Amino acid sequence: MFREQYTKFNQQVSPDKNLLQDTIDKAKKCEKQSNSKIYSFRKPLIILVSLCLCACLAMPVLAATVAPIYQLMYMVSPTIAQFFMPVQKSVEDNGIKVEVVSAYIHDNVAKIYITMQDLTSDRIDETTDLFDSYDINRPFDSSAHCAFVGYDKSTKTATFLITIEEQGGNTITEDKITFTVREFISHKTSSENVKIDLDLADYKTESEYQTQSPNGGGSSNENAALTEERKFLVPEPTIYPIMDNLNLSNIGFIDGKLHVQMQVTEKLTLDPHGYFYLMDENGNKVARDYNISYQTNRNGISITYDEFVFDVKKEDLQNYRLYGSFYVAGLNTKGNWQITFPLEQMN
Amino acid sequence: MEQHSLHLYDCTEKVISFYSDMVYRLAFARTGTKHDADDVFQEVFLRYVKKKSLFNNEEHRKAWLIRVTINCSNNFWNSLWRKKTQELTTDIMFETEDSVNLYTELQKLPAKYREVIHLFYYEDMSLEEISLTLNRKNSTIRTQLTRARALLKEFMKEENYV
Repeated sequence: MFREQYTKFNQQVSPDKNLLQDTIDKAKKCEKQSNSKIYSFRKPLIILVSLCLCACLAMPVLAATVAPIYQLMYMVSPTIAQFFMPVQKSVEDNGIKVEVVSAYIHDNVAKIYITMQDLTSDRIDETTDLFDSYDINRPFDSSAHCAFVGYDKSTKTATFLITIEEQGGNTITEDKITFTVREFISHKTSSENVKIDLDLADYKTESEYQTQSPNGGGSSNENAALTEERKFLVPEPTIYPIMDNLNLSNIGFIDGKLHVQMQVTEKLTLDPHGYFYLMDENGNKVARDYNISYQTNRNGISITYDEFVFDVKKEDLQNYRLYGSFYVAGLNTKGNWQITFPLEQMN
Repeated sequence: MEQHSLHLYDCTEKVISFYSDMVYRLAFARTGTKHDADDVFQEVFLRYVKKKSLFNNEEHRKAWLIRVTINCSNNFWNSLWRKKTQELTTDIMFETEDSVNLYTELQKLPAKYREVIHLFYYEDMSLEEISLTLNRKNSTIRTQLTRARALLKEFMKEENYV
């Protein structure tokens, strides 16, 4: 069969270890540089947006009649604002107005401010997240990302900064860009470093298990490769509710390791997620050895079971307490917001 | 072939390690040389780091990596510099004569056919999935696959067509 022959052929094709390590090193370096770049850019922006909000409160009439971010940015700091070209193109759907406020090109980088305003209710807040539902279509080969930079409660407006970088390092030429958003999540809540009020000593026995093909997981332990069927706890009806759409659904030992199972619903709409860790008597955190997850479908509802596995001995279990940090959004708003606008070089 | 995936909030190192073979093999299928596949491999993961976005699910991340691998290979293939400086040679030492012969025949195919063959036969993607990933019409993918099979007829004797 050709398929088998082609598979054997491909199994002889792999990246060198040196190439793989070099790529990982470069990626880490790039990640560090990129993070520090965003941090240094964001910090003055947060200050700037805060000042804008103060000015906005002082001049509500002005703020209501002009594009708030650009106008107020200019009032606060003309030296920064002068680099941005006003765009002020907007689209409205499902009671949400999306506006491209301003754009700025410098060499191979373009930065674009977008605002989202709820015209009818309070779906937009300071936790608004575009949830990777946005597309930035541009006519050149580039990488792009969109970051939340601020929220104005008085106008119910969230501001985002899109950064586009031309891949070849070439200067970005004037052209049109189309920005599209299909959904966003908001009203996120979190419970960080909360104690799970269960006595782990009650779960010392080996548990019944099932085998499933994992569809996700993570570990710092390279041996925990996700390439085969794995043992999972059998889910119980909720034994400890954590947050909306997050429940602790079982705890027990499998092959001498402690498994803590989290049931996750509405994963693709409200982004519920979190993690468990153990705390010993001296207040030291013990991270999971690895976590694996599988997905199932019950009565048309997709449920993910994420299992956190700890390398602790049964006889030591009374010395540990279970903790975790958890996050979930309260609202998912869908719509069709698409804006095409020109990207112009500053003269 | 790896059927399972990672957790969405895994670290970059883990993601690169996990998808390294997938990206490299697709890059090799598309470019045909180890040297070019090396360059495309690095470029894809640098773009991944720069993208910084969360993916809706693991399929979304995988599809993104496949799409970017194809894009990077296209850019590389089309670059004037490459056309002037690179010869179509491979440094990979295949273990069997069958593999050497298959490699030779694959290199005679247009690159577009090679990527469709790879996604269909190695990544086990359906015509619809390939169509969505490559942003080409389903009928185009079917035609390209049919033509590629015809050109690889010596290797396709026992193959059932879709």
